[in-house]
Amino acid sequence: MKHKANRPKVLFALSLLFLALTGAFLLNLWGRPARMPSIPLVDATYTSNATVRVSYAELIRTKADLSDFDCYTCHERNKTPQLRFDDKHNLLIPKEHSNIVMGHGSHNRNNLCFNCHDENNLELFQTRDGRQLKLSESTPLCGSCHGPTYRDWEAGAHGRTSGFWSHDLGSPTRQDCVSCHNPHAPRFPSRHPAPGPHPLRASTALTENLITH
Amino acid sequence: MDRRSFLRTSAVLTSGLAALAASLSPLFEMQDFPTAEKFLQKYYKEMTPDDMAKVVKRIENEVERQYGMRPHVRDLKPMDGVEFVYCLNLTRCIGCRKCVHACVKENNQSRNPEIQYIRVLKMPHGSMDMEKGEHNYAPESVPEKGFFYMPVQCQQCKNPPCVKVCPVHATWQETDGITVIDYDWCIGCRYCEAACPYWARRFNFTKPEIPKDKLNPEMAYLGNRPRRQGVMEKCHFCIQRTRAGKYPACLEVCPVGARKFGNILDPNSEVSYILRTKRVFIQLKEELGTSPRFFYYFDV
Repeated sequence: MKHKANRPKVLFALSLLFLALTGAFLLNLWGRPARMPSIPLVDATYTSNATVRVSYAELIRTKADLSDFDCYTCHERNKTPQLRFDDKHNLLIPKEHSNIVMGHGSHNRNNLCFNCHDENNLELFQTRDGRQLKLSESTPLCGSCHGPTYRDWEAGAHGRTSGFWSHDLGSPTRQDCVSCHNPHAPRFPSRHPAPGPHPLRASTALTENLITH
Repeated sequence: MDRRSFLRTSAVLTSGLAALAASLSPLFEMQDFPTAEKFLQKYYKEMTPDDMAKVVKRIENEVERQYGMRPHVRDLKPMDGVEFVYCLNLTRCIGCRKCVHACVKENNQSRNPEIQYIRVLKMPHGSMDMEKGEHNYAPESVPEKGFFYMPVQCQQCKNPPCVKVCPVHATWQETDGITVIDYDWCIGCRYCEAACPYWARRFNFTKPEIPKDKLNPEMAYLGNRPRRQGVMEKCHFCIQRTRAGKYPACLEVCPVGARKFGNILDPNSEVSYILRTKRVFIQLKEELGTSPRFFYYFDV
């Protein structure tokens, strides 16, 4: 009876095995999930609803300081400011206005002050068809040249909207052209992108490989 | 049986039982063990308003216990005469990914691991080949020359493959066109994730982690209430906002106004105008016959 003689050994081995398993389970040797890498929270600027710029109309609404728009603290009334050009017919920007970068389209003829500003009353705009508009009414001014875009804007298809899609429950807020576009250089500025999806446990070599391709 | 063999056998038995008990010990650490109330909760479509009021109360209590703030949970129903459509202007999108993070903030997605409903693909000009799309771009500034950017999220298909494969009807299409998920009914089989051709569905592999101060308290039952481990989630057009008449969060944050949303059944809405007058050139993977309610278009 060989296996009967072996029984004490087998039972002893089994007891040991079970005890080892008990220990392993209690210490949770293999059941513990690997620690997640910590992912930094995204910066609040990336979730901000603010527009790129602040329009004059918005400054009025928020009762901000409008002293920058008092043209006649420096300019003289009833005197048309003279535009000066270099020998290649580029507009020379006076140093008082050096913060203005002219970049409205690629052609020089689009970069003249009095295309939009009224030379006879600097606190007004003028359209090419002779209308005078207040500084806060810049959107119809832009629309006087950019017809199709103005049409899209009026329909809500161009530009930013916020608030309510449902006109029964509330009203949408439309942004003016100059809330996003700098009128002197209207191309929308490029910006830093928000962080992409976190690769979790992917090795850095793999991520770098992904980014470069 | 003699004394010696009795002792031997009982030693094996005791240690065996101890091992069994130890192997089951993680059960004691299990949190969110379903209460009887939660366990016996009815199917969403069978709930009476009274049932729903109780469920909403339960959810509010649970969230308050877990996050220390009392949320405002609502069960918003689709409106009559409303079918939502989303339009995205590929000419305007600059790929800044602000929509991705505004969505995470609004919809209480897990921050660790990250769950994001929107993926922004960087695509080379002149190609619509999704295989060339790149998720992990990280240049100093966007847009980059020679590329356009295509954000992809749930397309709210008219013929949704994800709904067809769900074995327990935990996901369905509502009359306003939003495909919703009942997180209390989902069994986490992930069939819908496999069926979706847009890779729009996300699975909570672990318990979602949201910092307490980052929780959005304005919640909807079928929308952004906190999810548990083991359920699917996806974009629901910000149901807690859109069914209250507001624009979705991704639209509000878009710095260039590339995103447009509205009621296609209203001829005066901006989406109707866009579909009528713009070069709406794709529904993504149109050939699959899913008929998305998400349209990509170009200006001019």
